[in-house]
Amino acid sequence: MAAKLSLSGPPDSDLSSTSNLSVSSRSSNRSLRVAEKERKKKEAEDPFVLALKYFSDVEAGTPVNGNDEVERNMVLVETLAYSKGLSPEAVSVMLEFAMSLRMGTSLCARVLKCLIPATLVPQEAVVRAVVWLSVGKIPVSTQILFIKWVLTVFDMIDAKNQLRAVYGFIFNFVTEENLCPFICHLLYLLTRKESVRVFRVRKLLELQSRLGRQPFLLNLLSLYKVFCPEMVMLSIPSRIKSGFRNHNMPWKSALIAVQKRAGPQLAGPQVASGSSPTSTTIKTNPRKRKRCHLEVPVMSSVVSKEAQTEPSSCGKVVPLVQLHSFAQLLDNMHRIELPAQMGSLLGSSLALHYLDCVQDESALLRLNFWLGYALHEEFLFCGDEGASQNSEEALQFLDKLLSTQQFLQEGFSCSEAFLYKFLNVWDGSLLRPQILGLLSNIPVVPSSQIRQLLFEPLMQLFFTSSLFFKCGLIECLNNMLLKWLTWHSVYALEDDLDISLNSHTSINMTLSGFKDSVMELVDFVGRLASLSLRLEGCHSLLLSFVLDFYETVCDMFIKYGLPLVVMPPPGVFYPALFATDPVSVDRLAYIMHRYKVNLTSAKSQEKLTKQAFHISRQTVREFNHYIIVMVNCLWNSKMFQLDMGLSLGEELLLKTKVPQYSASFDLVHHPAFMSYAVDFHHRCWPGRKDMDLNSIKHSKPWSWYLEFLFSQGFDGLKQFVESNVGRQLPADEGQGDSQST
Amino acid sequence: MERHQISETRTPRSNVVVQRRRKSKSYRLSYRSGLGAADSRLGWSPALTARRLNTSRKAARLSNIAEKVDPGQLALLVKTEWQLSYVTPLHQFRHTQLKSYSRQLSAFIAAGKQQGLAVEVEGLQTTFRVSFSVVQGMTQSDEDAESVLIQIHSKRLFANQDEPQKPVWSGWLTCVNGNPDYLHSLPKGFVCLPLFGCSGADGLSALVKSWFQQSFDCCFGPLEISHTSLQWLMALWTNCHAESGIQHLKMIWTVPAAPPLQVTYTVDPEDAWELWSSVRKEKEKRGGGGGEEEAGENYIDIEEVTRFMQGLKSHFYRHFRLDLSAGTLNQVSTALGSAKYSGRMKISNSRYMITTLTLLTECALLKMPI
Repeated sequence: MAAKLSLSGPPDSDLSSTSNLSVSSRSSNRSLRVAEKERKKKEAEDPFVLALKYFSDVEAGTPVNGNDEVERNMVLVETLAYSKGLSPEAVSVMLEFAMSLRMGTSLCARVLKCLIPATLVPQEAVVRAVVWLSVGKIPVSTQILFIKWVLTVFDMIDAKNQLRAVYGFIFNFVTEENLCPFICHLLYLLTRKESVRVFRVRKLLELQSRLGRQPFLLNLLSLYKVFCPEMVMLSIPSRIKSGFRNHNMPWKSALIAVQKRAGPQLAGPQVASGSSPTSTTIKTNPRKRKRCHLEVPVMSSVVSKEAQTEPSSCGKVVPLVQLHSFAQLLDNMHRIELPAQMGSLLGSSLALHYLDCVQDESALLRLNFWLGYALHEEFLFCGDEGASQNSEEALQFLDKLLSTQQFLQEGFSCSEAFLYKFLNVWDGSLLRPQILGLLSNIPVVPSSQIRQLLFEPLMQLFFTSSLFFKCGLIECLNNMLLKWLTWHSVYALEDDLDISLNSHTSINMTLSGFKDSVMELVDFVGRLASLSLRLEGCHSLLLSFVLDFYETVCDMFIKYGLPLVVMPPPGVFYPALFATDPVSVDRLAYIMHRYKVNLTSAKSQEKLTKQAFHISRQTVREFNHYIIVMVNCLWNSKMFQLDMGLSLGEELLLKTKVPQYSASFDLVHHPAFMSYAVDFHHRCWPGRKDMDLNSIKHSKPWSWYLEFLFSQGFDGLKQFVESNVGRQLPADEGQGDSQST
Repeated sequence: MERHQISETRTPRSNVVVQRRRKSKSYRLSYRSGLGAADSRLGWSPALTARRLNTSRKAARLSNIAEKVDPGQLALLVKTEWQLSYVTPLHQFRHTQLKSYSRQLSAFIAAGKQQGLAVEVEGLQTTFRVSFSVVQGMTQSDEDAESVLIQIHSKRLFANQDEPQKPVWSGWLTCVNGNPDYLHSLPKGFVCLPLFGCSGADGLSALVKSWFQQSFDCCFGPLEISHTSLQWLMALWTNCHAESGIQHLKMIWTVPAAPPLQVTYTVDPEDAWELWSSVRKEKEKRGGGGGEEEAGENYIDIEEVTRFMQGLKSHFYRHFRLDLSAGTLNQVSTALGSAKYSGRMKISNSRYMITTLTLLTECALLKMPI
């Protein structure tokens, strides 16, 4: 028995199809058989197969209480049932186990509840179970549960002929008062012309006289009348009040989930098999799903609240649901009625346009409650149900949320509140792109709270995660800064500088408050970058993301009108300056160039308006220092001079036995540019045997060399040289006309 | 478990509660109005207030709730075991509309029960009768909204025509001593009844919840009674022993062993009381001069609760060499009530109901997304 059992539906069905094939193609037969054997061997050790074996072999009367084995096996079956569904064999084993009441009635109901078929339900199993129904002492409630189960999975039963054969047997249960409605429903689904008999009609009529005109009896009778009008004299009302109640079956939600997971390939055969008239086709019924919080509610207009809302003066309102085009939206802009559930706005792109201009504070609050609830339930309160199962849904939900935020160009306050909590428990890998995306959307955080809310959790994540997370986070913080600056530039343009600059959060922030926050953020990234560059050995990918960030930072004044200049820390500056790839050095040169442009422009504006802002001396000093270092290093071949802040003992330098150590990072000898220098040397003096790179430094070849470098696309370097070095001879003490502001 | 603790207790700065979104145009204007609003409506400090379970609470006092609340309603509240949920604030809920809600909900249930069929609303024989009612006298402060009781009656399937309908489902929404700052921060039009309890068929609970969701744009989530809350309940109940006997103090622990071990630990009420009094006395001793604040109200601190638990655990360890700290507390019960981690709760003695509900309201408010 156990050898035949397979894990679950999908692999099993695959196998059956392949073995069908093998009959036709002999050649592949052997290899298939070998594979089959392998598979069986593997399955023999599978705990689930063992669990099924346990249930098929367990002796009647084994105690349940305190029996850990049964508990363990039961849990195994339940988990599999809820995740993938049970294979046909597993369904028959479990059904047989349950209905035979081998281990009592409580387990019977529990098994029935988890009996979620992955593909099909074997007819034999159902027939056997029906037989047990009369043999065993199954309590009525469990009997009902069983019939309900049959009704739920009716379309998945592989054939119905044997069930029809025991029609009469099933019919007998009609007399059970509690079972009657369900039995009638089942009979309705099974009835054929030949099953309509006089004595059955008589029985039903008798029941009807006893119970009153119950809809389920009427329905069955009307079907009988359709088949054999001569037998049923009863006049059936043209419109029967209601058919069979579509009972909320406990399996539906699980079934849908299993089918969803199994993917569309499974949905095909099942739809094909189910075709009975009032069959219990499984409708998407989000209400009963356990984890339905991620589903965006369907948009519907407010349920008649006529008593509450007096007809307003502006005439009739138009529910948002009734609008289908942008033009309609524009026409009705002034009299749109919000839907009953604000969450439904997320589902429609048209509604998002409207959301963008919703003025109603409580409407936004409603949306935020719903969103926040969904996020919290899914990611924070998820508890023992395991979020991994749901990750596909979670992914889609977050993507939807992200695209909404991108559309509105701002974050929801609930996602902000959620993130502050979530960052503390996040492992840094679950849905990383989405979470980082949400994070980059959060509005300006006051500097007094930014540390606790953002930096502390992020710091922990940052230093315990991989290089790629580090890069991702730096990129995310760069985006965050960009958004903050954009908000600022939008608002600052409208009004004088010193006014609260963002009204999208409830925090009123002054310009200086905003500056403090930006300052904190830039400092934070500076710290992260310095440390992580050291940790990761100045990885060039990481360096590139860091330089991206500083490209934003260096232009804060000119591009975004924020009167703030923050220099990169030495931990970022030097690794970039001494990077082995020319691109980083080039970008650093570009960044330094932009710093200079920003500083000069700020300076001139300060003179002009006499009231702008004061750049701290410290910043200017830092800038000058960096410029001097760069010029000395790349241009003047004066690496380790005393005033450079980067001093090494003379003896130590001599010990390295590097000749001309002070020139080892000029544009010729810099490891990033060495290859260009060699290349240039070849081109310049094709005949020369011995390579003397120092000869490039003579004035003529030097300027050619520079031209050569600039022609390779090092624009940053070009701009840097043009703005900082007076293009004199290298031997000349071209101190660079470094800032003297 | 630990995860939860952290996640549900730390809350970001509270004034994100109401988001002000103003696009351009009246930048200056919105600045001013924003300021005004922030002062009046967003009551509490803009600094980060980590919302946590109170670390100190009033000891349960005999309250004369029986005099204030309708005895019928009270009997219903007391005799049933409730499955708890938290509810986000209800939008446009009016206590004056309860009659119409009753009608709407029964139509909704009827429709839900006959899903998939063409429903004739007129001809429908209403097998379900819903009644909404206000439970007067449950509120403790002015901010608390009045509690609402919902009952669903139905006829048995094969009942005679004249047989009376039986209650098949009941539930309530309440707010007892809700955090006034939070309640204040909500704009007009929202009613905050964060604690929802129901008992009856799951199908009906689901229908009722989904009707609420659609009608008042709120969300329902399961409310577990956390480890800490269970310990609080134990202490609060034990503290009442002198006035009304707790009969027994029963705890159920789950210890993570393989196979999982469930420990039922029942303590004699006298012993529990003795242990509790010793913990209380110790505090008084330590408190020494600082007893002035205790003069007015009888407060219990979280330290006392932990010490009480520690005492119980170490007693258990002495006898069975099993440290319960490794496990989780799943269930506590006394004659005054019982509570389970899964969120099922029963209050057996109405006189201490308010204290229990205050604690649970607090738990529910902690679950609020914003």
